[in-house]
Amino acid sequence: MNLGARRMTSVRSDDEAFESLFRTEYPRVVGIANRVLADPHEAEDVAQEVFIDFHRLHSATAQYAPAWLHRAAAHASLNRLRGARRRQKREVAQALEEGERMLDPQKQVEVDEDRRQVRAALGRLAPKPAAALAMRASGLSYAEVAQALGVGIGQVGTLLRRAETALRKEVSRGTSN
Amino acid sequence: MAHLTEGTLRRMVDDPDARSGADAAHLEGCAECGARLKDISDDARSIASLLAVPDATVDVGRAFERVVSDRKSQPALVRFPISGSSGRPFRLAFVAAIAAVALVVVAFTFNGFFFKPTTVKTVPVTVADMQALSQLGEYGTMTWTKQPQFQVATNAADASVIAGGLKAPVVATLPAGVSTTVTYGAMSEAEATFTFSADKAKAAAASHGKTLPALPKGMDGATLTITVGPAIGEIYGNLQQGSAGSSSLNLPQLIVARSTAPTAKSTQVTVAQLEAYILDQPGISPELKKAIKAMGDPSTTLLIPIPVEYATSKDVTVQNVPGVALGDNTGVGSGVVWVKGGSVYVVAGSIKQNVAIDIANNLK
Repeated sequence: MNLGARRMTSVRSDDEAFESLFRTEYPRVVGIANRVLADPHEAEDVAQEVFIDFHRLHSATAQYAPAWLHRAAAHASLNRLRGARRRQKREVAQALEEGERMLDPQKQVEVDEDRRQVRAALGRLAPKPAAALAMRASGLSYAEVAQALGVGIGQVGTLLRRAETALRKEVSRGTSN
Repeated sequence: MAHLTEGTLRRMVDDPDARSGADAAHLEGCAECGARLKDISDDARSIASLLAVPDATVDVGRAFERVVSDRKSQPALVRFPISGSSGRPFRLAFVAAIAAVALVVVAFTFNGFFFKPTTVKTVPVTVADMQALSQLGEYGTMTWTKQPQFQVATNAADASVIAGGLKAPVVATLPAGVSTTVTYGAMSEAEATFTFSADKAKAAAASHGKTLPALPKGMDGATLTITVGPAIGEIYGNLQQGSAGSSSLNLPQLIVARSTAPTAKSTQVTVAQLEAYILDQPGISPELKKAIKAMGDPSTTLLIPIPVEYATSKDVTVQNVPGVALGDNTGVGSGVVWVKGGSVYVVAGSIKQNVAIDIANNLK
């Protein structure tokens, strides 16, 4: 096989590796983003951006690929959470959704309000503990969270505890205001 | 034993692996830690319920199609080897710049140069000569025994870790007009092995209507292993900017890269024997062969191919050692390459040649 043919094979196998990575990791990346944003459509938007960024900068065969994707999903969705534009958009969407609900609308409004407050509080946490919390809540193992954040597995518990304490404080502050 | 930390107790809540060893034994006999674990566990459960959301249902196949169609409109910044296939202009991003050093080495190794260079020299080639390198695949097989891994980093320290501790060169003063936005890239050490095949060489010679030159003892199956990198680099300016419609090389504002000098080793025959025999093969570009033979001491010289249609070069002194200054005939950019202290350095960009040399001389 000449170099040109080998290059074609390499490009093809890289594409195959990317597809395989995508199929394995896409649901998990969406899961992390959804846990942060509480909005599956927006979570999918984040996941798409994350995969496109990954493809631009990295090889799908890189060992660190899943860890990179998890970390990027957490940070990208937390960044969105902090964005003013997203809040406005979400409030409009929520108002529309609330109007359309048929069953127990009062309860649903309360659930939505709780979720909104929790997400607002999550957006005010330090990035690393917030990312640890989002990843763990979406089902990543301690080892996966550690790898994504570049910390020792022993530190994940500390980050989670810090995040949970801070989130509780932030939620209380939000409801008392 | 001191009481367990909050982090340890938190991990014990939902990581079965944490409930073992001395910590678990302590928890068993410590009422205080037991009570703290219960509080932490209650907290964790209550936060989990606050964060609970209905699972997102995803159509992975459809999502993949969307990403594939989106990414096609955004060329990858990092691709190895650098390729200008399908008519799309290839972009010289910083990782590619780092890779260029490795590619030069590997490319010329294919043509019979085997070295640990301590200096640089240019070789005039045509693009056709470079393309002729692919013919080497007809004389053996090339495999990556250690794949080059490129990675982008946001700071020099992270890049240095990827590059096996190699430190990024520091630009003393940025020229006016060059963005202070810097991105780091690194490449781990890579190793490629070329195994010469007498059968392949025989077939290649036959395809040119010629017979294989007499095969020296040990040549069939002889291997040449090249080690390149690790390498580290930094790029100044916006990686997204580029002349998408142009067919010319798209240089960032400034690239500074450093790579450990490549090395080569062979089995069964000496590198010089392998070099000489490959040069004798039918189909090797006569121009390149001539240029290679003109070299004084290939065992200590890093060859920089200069595509004569597009670039010019001149010998310069950089940091008190010989270097090569490269210029682009179109005036788009320039660069300097030199070898010092076991490392190959490159400074290049859409800057004037004297500016590139000045940056190179003041590099720390």
